[in-house]
Amino acid sequence: MIYVLYVIISFICIYTARHYWFTLNRLFAFQRHPYIDIDTADWPPVTILVAAHNEEKVVANILGALMTVKYPADKMLVVPVNDRSTDRTREIIDEFVGRFPGRIQPFHRVTGKGGKAAALKDAMEHVDTEVILIFDADYIPGAGLIKQLTAPFFDPEVGGVMGRVVPMNCGTNLLTRLLDLERSGGYQVDQQARMNLRLVPQHGGTVAGVRLSALREIGGWNDNSLTEDTDLTYRLLLNGWKTVYQNRSECYEEVPETWAVRIKQIMRWAKGHNQAMVTYGLRLLLGKHRASLRERIDGTLLLGVYIMAPVTLLGWALALAVFYEGIAPLHGVIALLSLTAYAAIGNLAAFFEIAAAVRLDGNRRRVCLLPFLILGFTVSIFSVSRAAFSQVKDALTGAEFHWDKTERFRKAAS
Amino acid sequence: MNPLVALAILLSLAGTLFMLPLLPALVELHRKSDARPLNVIQQHAGEIKHFADGFRSYIKELEPILHESFNSQAAVFGTLPDGTDYLVLGRGDEALRLPLKEQDGLCPMLIATSSNLVLPPDIKFSKDIYSGGEFIGGAKNQYRAILGEKEVHLSSKSCVLRWVHAVGDFQADSDCELYGRISSDRHIRLRSGCNFRRLNAPKIEIGAEDKDFSALAASHNPLVQASTRRLLLDGDFNIPSGEVFSGNLVVRGVLHIGAKARVQGSVKGDKGVVLEDSVAVEGSLMSATRMRIGTNCDIHGPVIAERDIVIERGTHCGSHDQPTTVSAPSIAVQEGVVVFGTLWAREHGQVAEHS
Repeated sequence: MIYVLYVIISFICIYTARHYWFTLNRLFAFQRHPYIDIDTADWPPVTILVAAHNEEKVVANILGALMTVKYPADKMLVVPVNDRSTDRTREIIDEFVGRFPGRIQPFHRVTGKGGKAAALKDAMEHVDTEVILIFDADYIPGAGLIKQLTAPFFDPEVGGVMGRVVPMNCGTNLLTRLLDLERSGGYQVDQQARMNLRLVPQHGGTVAGVRLSALREIGGWNDNSLTEDTDLTYRLLLNGWKTVYQNRSECYEEVPETWAVRIKQIMRWAKGHNQAMVTYGLRLLLGKHRASLRERIDGTLLLGVYIMAPVTLLGWALALAVFYEGIAPLHGVIALLSLTAYAAIGNLAAFFEIAAAVRLDGNRRRVCLLPFLILGFTVSIFSVSRAAFSQVKDALTGAEFHWDKTERFRKAAS
Repeated sequence: MNPLVALAILLSLAGTLFMLPLLPALVELHRKSDARPLNVIQQHAGEIKHFADGFRSYIKELEPILHESFNSQAAVFGTLPDGTDYLVLGRGDEALRLPLKEQDGLCPMLIATSSNLVLPPDIKFSKDIYSGGEFIGGAKNQYRAILGEKEVHLSSKSCVLRWVHAVGDFQADSDCELYGRISSDRHIRLRSGCNFRRLNAPKIEIGAEDKDFSALAASHNPLVQASTRRLLLDGDFNIPSGEVFSGNLVVRGVLHIGAKARVQGSVKGDKGVVLEDSVAVEGSLMSATRMRIGTNCDIHGPVIAERDIVIERGTHCGSHDQPTTVSAPSIAVQEGVVVFGTLWAREHGQVAEHS
């Protein structure tokens, strides 16, 4: 038991060190933004896929924004992927098609497998451009975003591109403010540090792009995946394609405003991530492919981020058990001290990362909310652990995953 | 002491200690003093002419005075509502005889004219300058920003701190320091010894023009064409002289392209890229570190290096119909290089001597 505990503590220490490494890199090292200066080019044709399932509240905003972006209109086709919507989504999309003839080609999907990956897979029949950009319907791209997300594809090594997600409803309540802090840490520090260090920036499936030839080479969208973005990141990596992160390609999104919606969202992410870990983990770490050693290590650690929640819970339980068992008092004390140290140093690493991100964003007083992150972390650790256990249970019983769409809170555009 | 009271005190103390770090958090949660979304640039998209456009709007209120001054051929001094002092000139050459210089060679006024503007040498202009006609600046001047509706010509050893936009041609004589954004709607020419950061124009020429640019015979969009094939190689790779390589190429080591070779696609070298003389690349050229481009090469797509680029004389990047971007933290360009579009050195760009 004590040795299992030591293994768990070792993993926790590795993730703690990783947090510090990323944050220090972001604060003091050279920052890589190799493609952001490409402002003049013979811009290639792009297809912009807008994933929409019952998005009557938000779909007009994104279509309106896309019609005003600064990209040659004759080289940009917007394809709203209306996935079996039962609300006014279709009607709103068709209104836009009438207003902007030739610039929007809707894909109304009325049957088929559920989930974003399945919808995108079907929509690929309408795509013949080398560059594909993907947005969820609740995002609002700025004028220069399409050029910024397209620019990295001039690099023949780039298979995927990811931009930065910025919550627009962050001031609504405590949850949205905590999510704003988490997003800031995740993108401003985590993703950019991975880009700086040539590790594995993660494709987020929205405010993102993928190269058609790369997508075809890896077998297209995987509609069996619960998180098509994570799945895409690893298949690109295993096939020698790079995913790059553009920290200055920012786009507003809407974050969940209720804990119930947030818990559903993070449980889905956890299940998808764990699924990718089982599918690609060993192959990435030990298999024969084109990823570098540092990509193998970072990619494996990235795959393990969600499974660390139940592992940490197990660590706490084991520490208590070892302590009260009393058979190896010295080991028990060390174990307890180790976990206590983790509580102080390990959590501090995450707090340090988020505080650094807030500083880099030029914000000030929102950093006062850091102590409340304990609440967010507690909810996450139990939700993610629950997701992992239910995933194991589903695997044993053969139950199918049910796709939960994230609820929107914006008032419908008139 | 009563054990229950002791327990209550202990719990209260512990609770207070726990709540202390939450106090600023509770105050911020209640006041929402920093709860606005991160300010994302939604509209101007980092365009090079952003500041010039802003300045043009800013001086709109001077338009009647510019008209009046032009008609009367008289100089008008005044102060804008934000407290900025200005000098509007009826005749641009009037600046040569006016006492523009104050202490330490500084001219602290915004200068504007509807006609051509000729400025004397050795002055530091700490406010923006507007010229409705041609602009000619004296040697060793220092400018904050210049907007010229026609040609802008900076004499040798001039310095620009923020930006210049010329609707007509822009020319900087030898040894100028161009720190900010320099843009022209037509043409930029930099003479020897100039240092620069960000240049943008349909055509940017370094030094004197020494040959006509003849476009590549087959000009295709690199991303469309490149979709056919990608070759990924570990270690170094050499494309022999005179060979034609078709498709996209990614080399994890150093990529070396021999003289007169032709690449029909885009190429990248993770540990460096070296192009010998007269190489043609129809797509983009990328290096994760350094890049050296030999003489008389033709590159169609973007040219990006993550450390530095040296471009030798006679090389052309982009074309009139297909403008492009050349970017790296450090760029050295020799005279005779032509870039159609953007030449952007994040840290330092210089017009270098022939090696």
